[in-house]
Amino acid sequence: MEEIDFKVAPESKIKKRPSYIKPWLGLKYLFKKPVTIKIPYEKTQIAKNYRGFHSLDWKKCIGCNFCGQICPARAIEMTWIEVDGKVEKRPHPKIDYGRCTFCEFCVDVCPTGALGFVENFMLTTEWKDEELELFDWVPIHPDKLREINEKFPDYRFPVGKIEFNKETKEVTYYLRDGDVFKFKILGYGVRPPAAAKPKPAAPKAEEAKKVKKPEEKKGQKSEENSS
Amino acid sequence: MVSQSELIKEARENGMELLPLDKDTYELFFGPQHMATENFSIILKMDGHRVVKAIANPGFLHRGFEKLAELRPWYTNIALLLRICVPEPDVPEMIYSMAVDELMGWEVPERAQWIRTTVLEMARVSAYLFWIMGLSFKLGVYTAGQWAAAYRERFMALFEELTGARVYHIYTIPGGVRRDIPGDKWLRQLKDTVEYIKSKLPDFDNLVFENYITHRRMEGIGVMDKKFALAEGVTGPNLRATGVPYDVRRMDPYLLYPELDFEVPVLKEGDALARALIRRYELEQDLYILEQLLEMGPPSGPYKVQDPRLKNLPRFKVPAGDAFAHVESTKGDFGAYVVSTGGNKPYRVQIRGPSIAHGIRVLEQLLVGARIADVPVILMSLDNCPPDIDR
Ligand code: SF4
Ligand code: SF4
Repeated sequence: MEEIDFKVAPESKIKKRPSYIKPWLGLKYLFKKPVTIKIPYEKTQIAKNYRGFHSLDWKKCIGCNFCGQICPARAIEMTWIEVDGKVEKRPHPKIDYGRCTFCEFCVDVCPTGALGFVENFMLTTEWKDEELELFDWVPIHPDKLREINEKFPDYRFPVGKIEFNKETKEVTYYLRDGDVFKFKILGYGVRPPAAAKPKPAAPKAEEAKKVKKPEEKKGQKSEENSS
Repeated sequence: MVSQSELIKEARENGMELLPLDKDTYELFFGPQHMATENFSIILKMDGHRVVKAIANPGFLHRGFEKLAELRPWYTNIALLLRICVPEPDVPEMIYSMAVDELMGWEVPERAQWIRTTVLEMARVSAYLFWIMGLSFKLGVYTAGQWAAAYRERFMALFEELTGARVYHIYTIPGGVRRDIPGDKWLRQLKDTVEYIKSKLPDFDNLVFENYITHRRMEGIGVMDKKFALAEGVTGPNLRATGVPYDVRRMDPYLLYPELDFEVPVLKEGDALARALIRRYELEQDLYILEQLLEMGPPSGPYKVQDPRLKNLPRFKVPAGDAFAHVESTKGDFGAYVVSTGGNKPYRVQIRGPSIAHGIRVLEQLLVGARIADVPVILMSLDNCPPDIDR
């Protein structure tokens, strides 16, 4: 063995002497205040940037699928959406919380800053299928999320119930503050479905706040990893 | 009543093999639902209350990370690989990031190095507290376990503030870290926490490490000698308890460790008590390291490398080559071997968890001759971590 040129602790410092009496000193906490938090009555303070559920600015999202490519759990699927009879020009990410690891890599990678996150982390359902729909959503606008958070500061999922009509493909969000939000899902994937006419018009990259990227036009089709 | 030999004969005529029962020993299965084994199981052949033969039976947590890592882009793998070590998830992030840094030829900025060192040490302290919890639960000293869990909570809160998550803080990335330090308030909080836990260490001594019962419970069980430990590839505190002064932070320094002053504890006995005392002393040293780091203060500068290649993360490519990086975790020498063929996904990522050495072969041999009550204690004194065996 090569010679040692680092400090090795002397044995006398490491070794402890057994004692009969010392364990009794643990009793000193018997009359101190416990450190527990009584959860339904007291609230915990969540850190400001706690990685929780996503928010999506539908106006800003350009459907580049960067978030879908970086996602380690492949929880993101591009979704073609129709709101109020109008087809969105670009697909938006749909996030499956059954798989999401809350790494927020998708938020870091989003070139336009459309995808964000809030501190909310509580989402509990029963085993029923209609309740499990909650785990699969296209995130809503950050302002709306914040509004709901101000009303109900309990870090719960902002949507109370999601209904998905299998025939008409209509999704209804019953938000917790009573609002109802409806849209239709036309198809999945990066390529536009037949229902949504392909629009080869130039993408609205001007909306991008951050640095413009040449890659975000087209060309990620070949590297799509979902569907 | 048919005699046994007749039964064997009859079975053989029908093309079957009937083995005679071993009537002297009985088989005991310490399964994954047992409180002491944590998703790991040992098949014990017992003679009375002594173990005659032990067979470790891991694999309940095999999630195939190394295969999954081949299918994901370089950055994304961080969120995957850190799940290999549950008590200190920063270590797999760190080794993977260090290996990718080496492949990229990046010089990690000083501020990032400081943050990385601090995060590693915080992870070590919380992992040791977690270990104290496990050990005291297995020894039956529940009070100390509850304390350790409560103090670990303080570190979890600090991690939450820094990284945004409590346990799996997907924080260290190739080329630095993901977020900057939240501010001076956080540094003050860390300082307070370190001081607080330091003041609480004598409590643990009183209850666990200087307790007469604990000493009687752990003295002389699971004795491992130097030659055996070296031959089996045991690392970390388990190796240091056999009298080998080996610590990756000193032998192959990384990050800011060369500038830090700390002592490496070494004992000669190699029994469960020595391993426990070594961990106890390292907890103290880690708190001392954190104090030094806070005194140094984070240098100013960027917290991750500035590289135009980072602009397009999904198609971020790493030059061809291979790299190995290892750090000292609380369980031992944790290493990652990364091979790149120049694509946007790793060709192969191999993680060498320390428990693979001391959790299977060594455990099987240490358990021979042990009493049944010592089995959980030996298991915990080795600090066996099933996820890094199975991966
Ligand atoms: S990365 Fe951002 S802009 Fe691109 S599809 Fe995802 S949310 Fe939309
Ligand atoms: S936060 Fe969830 S959806 Fe986003 S990249 Fe991570 S796993 Fe995927």
